[in-house]
Amino acid sequence: MISRGNYITAREAGLILCPDCHKLLPEGGLSNCPRCGAALHLRKPDSINRTWALLITAAILFFPANILPIMKMDFLGKADYSTIIDGIIYFFQTGSYGIGIIILTASVLVPCFKIIGIFLMLLSIHFRWKGRLRHKTLFFRIILFVGRWSMLDIFVIALLQVLFNFGNLTSIEAAPAVTYFTAVVLSTMFCAITFDPRLLWEE
Amino acid sequence: MTKDEIDLLKTNPADLLACPDCDILLLKKHLYPGCKACCPRCGYTLHIPVKNSVEKTLVCALTGLLLFVPAVFLPIMTLDTMGMEQAGSIFNAIIKIYQNGYRGVAIMVALTSSIFPLIKLLLTFTIAFFLKIKRYPNCLPRCLRYYKHFNEWGMREVFMVGILVAIIKLHHMAHIHYNFGLFCFIALLIMALYASVTMDEHEFWDRIEHKPEKLKN
Repeated sequence: MISRGNYITAREAGLILCPDCHKLLPEGGLSNCPRCGAALHLRKPDSINRTWALLITAAILFFPANILPIMKMDFLGKADYSTIIDGIIYFFQTGSYGIGIIILTASVLVPCFKIIGIFLMLLSIHFRWKGRLRHKTLFFRIILFVGRWSMLDIFVIALLQVLFNFGNLTSIEAAPAVTYFTAVVLSTMFCAITFDPRLLWEE
Repeated sequence: MTKDEIDLLKTNPADLLACPDCDILLLKKHLYPGCKACCPRCGYTLHIPVKNSVEKTLVCALTGLLLFVPAVFLPIMTLDTMGMEQAGSIFNAIIKIYQNGYRGVAIMVALTSSIFPLIKLLLTFTIAFFLKIKRYPNCLPRCLRYYKHFNEWGMREVFMVGILVAIIKLHHMAHIHYNFGLFCFIALLIMALYASVTMDEHEFWDRIEHKPEKLKN
């Protein structure tokens, strides 16, 4: 392998990397990978614009997801609506700190972290900040990995409403914020997929 | 340009690999099981070779497929409070959220918790099976390509943590009985995770690419 600092990229060598099967192919001439059939692009197509669009969508949807109630609890005929934050406060008040921290991380911190993280990375491509590239790339991989964990709250509510359902008197039901919350998870996941970390490294 | 760089440019692209995250060009080296290759510039894990990858993947995927139906359709737990019992399976949970009017959410839950992981397991099984019996139908590269995409959207492990959170939320209010479905789900989760860990994509692609030509009579 080449010594540190003397790197040459595939693009400089006139090679193109298949996005799906990671085969190296000569640039130009081929529109699809001969091995797996994926469309070949030097970089993910229109990466920055698509990522911006999805990021803004996610940031807007994040507000209704947290402000509207996500769960309706009927207990002996008394309806009680709670938001994500209420649920977390409930866990902390009843002493279940561990589970409170898990829910707080998965449903509030992770989406925030993703939105802010991708925002900073887009800025660093735009303004050509070349510091800490290795850390930024690692950070991107973490964002890609943690994204799906935000679905946790949706799964919990889906389970609670089928299990905790004793006629009309006592039941748990989903409330409007679930739709917004699912949309936030979807758009942040697509956002991480359309982002191309190789753009961070380019001059 | 240094001598090393010129050497790299002269090498056949088949002996090179590029990092998907930072695009640097590296020489391909043979790795022994137990080693792993990381990108020297950004730290991306390029390759972790697995011994007997095809066989292990095949076994795990088959076990996972057998467990799928009981895990999704059998009740995972029963709640017992004030003399009333309520059992629920993953399938019921999806139907219930659909009936309550949150159709998009129900579809998303169904896709991420059951359908995508099922497709992923089916693809894993198909690919490993054909590689094992050394047949190479034309759809094989496409299967392996789609596998990679479904990988990102399966959220079974998140659902497992969801079950744990639901248990903790409910155990103050009611008595919980754990049913067979829960154990099937846990076993399915472990099998599916193991199948994806043992699946050595580099080796699978190499095998597909260097398939033996049909013998001429």
